[in-house]
Amino acid sequence: MKFRTILTIIGVVIGTASIIVMVSIGNGAQKSITDELSGIGSVTTLQVYQDLSSMGMTAMGGGKTDDKAILNDDAIKDLKKIDGVVAVTPVVNLSGGEIEVDREQYGVSLMGVDYAVLEDMRYVTTSGKKPGANDENSVILGKDVLTSFTYTGASTQLEASEVKPEDLIGQNITMTIKRTNANGEEEIKTQKLKVTGVLEATGGNEDYSIIADYHLVTDLNEWQTGRKANVKKQGYSQALVTVEDSSVVNDVTSEVEAMKFTVFSMQQILDSMGSVFQMLQILLGGIGGVALLVACIGIVNTMTMSIYERTKEIGIMKVIGASISDIRNMFIAESTMIGLIGGLVGIVISLVLSVLINLIAGLFIGGEGGVTISYITPGLVVFALFFSALVGLLSGVRPAIKAANLSSLDAIRSE
Amino acid sequence: MHKDFKLGKEDIHILKGIDLDIEQGEMVALLGPSGSGKSTFLNVLGGLVPPTSGDIMIRDYRISDMTENELCLFRREHLGFIFQSYNLISTMTAMENVALALTFAGVKKEIRQQRAQEALEVVGLVDRMGHKPSELSGGQQQRVSIARALVNHPEIILADEPTGNLDSKTSADIMEMITRLNREEKQTFVIVTHDPDTTKYCTKVIHMCDGLIEAEVNQ
Repeated sequence: MKFRTILTIIGVVIGTASIIVMVSIGNGAQKSITDELSGIGSVTTLQVYQDLSSMGMTAMGGGKTDDKAILNDDAIKDLKKIDGVVAVTPVVNLSGGEIEVDREQYGVSLMGVDYAVLEDMRYVTTSGKKPGANDENSVILGKDVLTSFTYTGASTQLEASEVKPEDLIGQNITMTIKRTNANGEEEIKTQKLKVTGVLEATGGNEDYSIIADYHLVTDLNEWQTGRKANVKKQGYSQALVTVEDSSVVNDVTSEVEAMKFTVFSMQQILDSMGSVFQMLQILLGGIGGVALLVACIGIVNTMTMSIYERTKEIGIMKVIGASISDIRNMFIAESTMIGLIGGLVGIVISLVLSVLINLIAGLFIGGEGGVTISYITPGLVVFALFFSALVGLLSGVRPAIKAANLSSLDAIRSE
Repeated sequence: MHKDFKLGKEDIHILKGIDLDIEQGEMVALLGPSGSGKSTFLNVLGGLVPPTSGDIMIRDYRISDMTENELCLFRREHLGFIFQSYNLISTMTAMENVALALTFAGVKKEIRQQRAQEALEVVGLVDRMGHKPSELSGGQQQRVSIARALVNHPEIILADEPTGNLDSKTSADIMEMITRLNREEKQTFVIVTHDPDTTKYCTKVIHMCDGLIEAEVNQ
């Protein structure tokens, strides 16, 4: 093989490898984020909100209560009737609690759900078990409850506790909540909670919360605020809807939206992120594509040079019976081979690069089980191979037609 | 066969009206000084350049009307070419050069090699078939190119100064070989030459001068 041809192939190798590596980085980002988000089955859980104002935007003028759907117990029942819904629970939150474990204070939030449907929800305990429907004072700990913001003197920082949530299973913990009464004095209430299990990571609020029965949490809330909750009129701030599987998520979402509630699901995030990542990949692939475009010009140049050099040879072939298409196909095959070989080598190199990128990133970022920065899918490999061969083929067309149309007599006379 | 044509290039009339019949199995020498139009005549005969006017009939084929692709296919089937400068492909071995003509005809590889070997046997170069042109002498290279012209078993072989680059001893060898092929294979040869020695092997000598046939001598 000619040195010139080898250089041209190297051009294609660089072009192909840059496309693959660029797109693989886009893939890697998408994969690690979607894995993080969807790995835990929370895809099948929809968060339903009364409307946007319940997310802390009450201040934006209040006159719209008339046609507002209220997320009360009637609404919960209606939600349950939707096809594909397995369980619906209101969510009542309580923040500002503190627990003491091993002489350390931990700030905690309670997330109250309906224990009657706890069994049907996608909550999985890594150890211990879920409380039964009547275990009103039993709780499940989020996996990061004790890892969360710990108070160490004046500063707040993220610090893992020596005590693991699992160690507390079967034990009673005492939670204290405070309120300021009408006289400006601080009052303290304690509540004993029995830990029955630890929740598998969900990637959501649950990880940093204690799951409790919503009746209990409602009672504690009423004590803390000093007001009786009027669920019927004001509704719950949030409900969790568990659906059969991910295929019905979109249908259920639109039905819930038709009931004038705000729905938030991991599926929506994944869907919208999918298009963002597609854009990212096209962008990255385009950057890589510039290198392949340059390689393409290289192929045209090499083929043109090769035809100049082999004019006599082409003439001889035509005189001894090669047809126009024989000559044309010969040169197109040659440039396609350049593309194909370049593509193959490029794929091998980018596979190696991908492993290296992940290794090096792993050294800097750390984390167990390696890091996925670059992720090469089989589809990407097939696409790259096909694309590089196509680039080779297209680059060869013009020079090949030129070669095929050479006059055989002029060609054979050239030196 | 009947041919009658003129060829004008930049309005220079190279062939100024040639009317010639060549019978099958003849061995014709086109003799004349350079510039007499004998090579051009041969190229028109082989379909490498079209005539400006007139017809070339080879058997029942009117090759002056053929498209370039038809000409390629016609050459592949019916014509063999031998050149003064051999025109072998330098990157290929003798065997590959000979077999190349069959490649375009779509002959299978085993048959291609077998027939190329047979053709090289005819010219006595079987022991050199793995050599590249640069490793062969001029006479040997010309014999490879003759083998290439023969391998398709064409009815007509057109030779443009086949001995032009060779010394007199080798020239005689080559001409004797061509004569033998003409007799044994009944192939028609049209040989362009300016060397009167070459003509003594031929059955007919056509003297050309200034684009016209001066004399047609049967011998």
